[in-house]
Amino acid sequence: MDVSGILEEHKNKFKPIQVDRLIPTEFDLGLLACFDMNMLDDNRLRASQQSRDRYLKELSREGAQQMINELFGLPTTVDEDSVYATLPKTTTVLPREKPIPKEKPPTRWEKFAKIKGIQKRKSTGKVFDEDQGEWRRKYGYKGVNNDDQKPWLIEVPGKADQYQDQYQVRRDEKKARIEKNTRRNQRNVEENVAVEKGMKPHEMRKRELQKALVLSKQSTASLGKFDTKLKGEPKTKGLKRKFDPLVGSADSEKSKNMDILNRVAKGESKATVINVRKAQRAVNNAKRAAASKSK
Amino acid sequence: NEIHPFEDETGIEFFARKNDSSLFAVGMHSKKRPHNLILGRTFNYQILDMIEMGVERCTTMQEHKSQACSVGMKPLMVFNGEAFNRDENLVRLKSILLDLFRGEVADKVSLKGLEYIITVTAGPPGPNGETGLVFFRTYTTSLKKSGLRQPRVELEEMGPSLDLRIRRVRLPTEDMWKLAVQVPKELKVVKVKNISRDGLGDKYGRVHLGKQEINKIQTRKVRALKKNLDGGKSGKRQKMDVDTE
Repeated sequence: MDVSGILEEHKNKFKPIQVDRLIPTEFDLGLLACFDMNMLDDNRLRASQQSRDRYLKELSREGAQQMINELFGLPTTVDEDSVYATLPKTTTVLPREKPIPKEKPPTRWEKFAKIKGIQKRKSTGKVFDEDQGEWRRKYGYKGVNNDDQKPWLIEVPGKADQYQDQYQVRRDEKKARIEKNTRRNQRNVEENVAVEKGMKPHEMRKRELQKALVLSKQSTASLGKFDTKLKGEPKTKGLKRKFDPLVGSADSEKSKNMDILNRVAKGESKATVINVRKAQRAVNNAKRAAASKSK
Repeated sequence: NEIHPFEDETGIEFFARKNDSSLFAVGMHSKKRPHNLILGRTFNYQILDMIEMGVERCTTMQEHKSQACSVGMKPLMVFNGEAFNRDENLVRLKSILLDLFRGEVADKVSLKGLEYIITVTAGPPGPNGETGLVFFRTYTTSLKKSGLRQPRVELEEMGPSLDLRIRRVRLPTEDMWKLAVQVPKELKVVKVKNISRDGLGDKYGRVHLGKQEINKIQTRKVRALKKNLDGGKSGKRQKMDVDTE
């Protein structure tokens, strides 16, 4: 039986999918791209618009055919009636949008966990509530720890004062817990900042406190001379109150006073905020008072 | 709102920061530079590189009157011409176009969803070796039966087609490019050394022992192998003789 004839006929029914290229085309399937380094027919490209477009279409068809051939050769997964080809990683180097994020220094807990070898466990996030017989969140909307699902009865513990409001105690404890959490978060942030600057967090806090001390001393009229000192407070240097000499040249005193007056008369730009309403009312009141007096 | 990226970068950088976008395209027209199109990218809200092209011929999607493909599809990209590896302007253009038309980063692609293809062809260079025209064409694909697993591809010109002439190119500064191309340690491919597989799939590795000092190996003590054996033996015998006597 001569099957080859039938096969030939079958083959000729369909158009070929083979594309021959002198220099094999490079593919970057991760980007769905291909780079064909073969020589182009410059004559056809320089020709008229129509023939050029036809040539380009031929080239494109062959390029597309090569890509399709490659893509159909990739490993596939079937998902919801459509076949997906798994793409390999891209080979072309494309720049990032933003720089690589810096590594955050570990928090106090992370350091401790590392030493002790405590692993992070992923929890489902829901807790079984015996009272309601259903799964509820640990926290958040309709969470187990929320007050709107408060118990209808709280037993007074043995050592507590019997007139103490236990519901209030619950609320206070929750507030204390939240505050503790926020304080710890703040501490972590401060420690990160200190580490980034290259200082120990204790050092940084100390410096900040010293700075605040000096500023507060400067703000008092006596420059902190009579303030009660803390234990171990260092002596502040260079804070001296300056007084003008009692006897000096009359000219300098005159010019100083004139300066002050000029500034007041001109009105410093920061202080020229007049409350027009109030000013108008004051003027009206003065006029009324003058009018009633004259009567 | 006049923006001239090649003269003043602050306009583009401002927009990039406000919109949190890293790719930009500016189109303008002037007597000196007619039908100007600037494509570029930013890194960390600063202009990384950009390329200015003049559009010498353009046909829009409406003019082609063919069925457009659905929005959001990833295009296949074909670059024809060795100039895309040789000419540094075209290398830059290739990089920018790949970035621009990349779309969503995906590790899987539906074989039915390869609807359109963009072809970029490098035209013949000018008499002084200048970069020639770049032909940008867009087609929709239709996959036909071929009797084999891979389908036969037929194209129909769909979208905008542009003939571009490269005017100015701003290349990225060395250090900015280095930063932009850095791969974080976690993503770097780690080469596994020493492990190989033979034809049957068995895993082989070499164990390196280092230099062995045979003299100093600690073994079980065998009396017969002792060095001063005769001397010791006779010595003991003598003692025993004395006792019995």
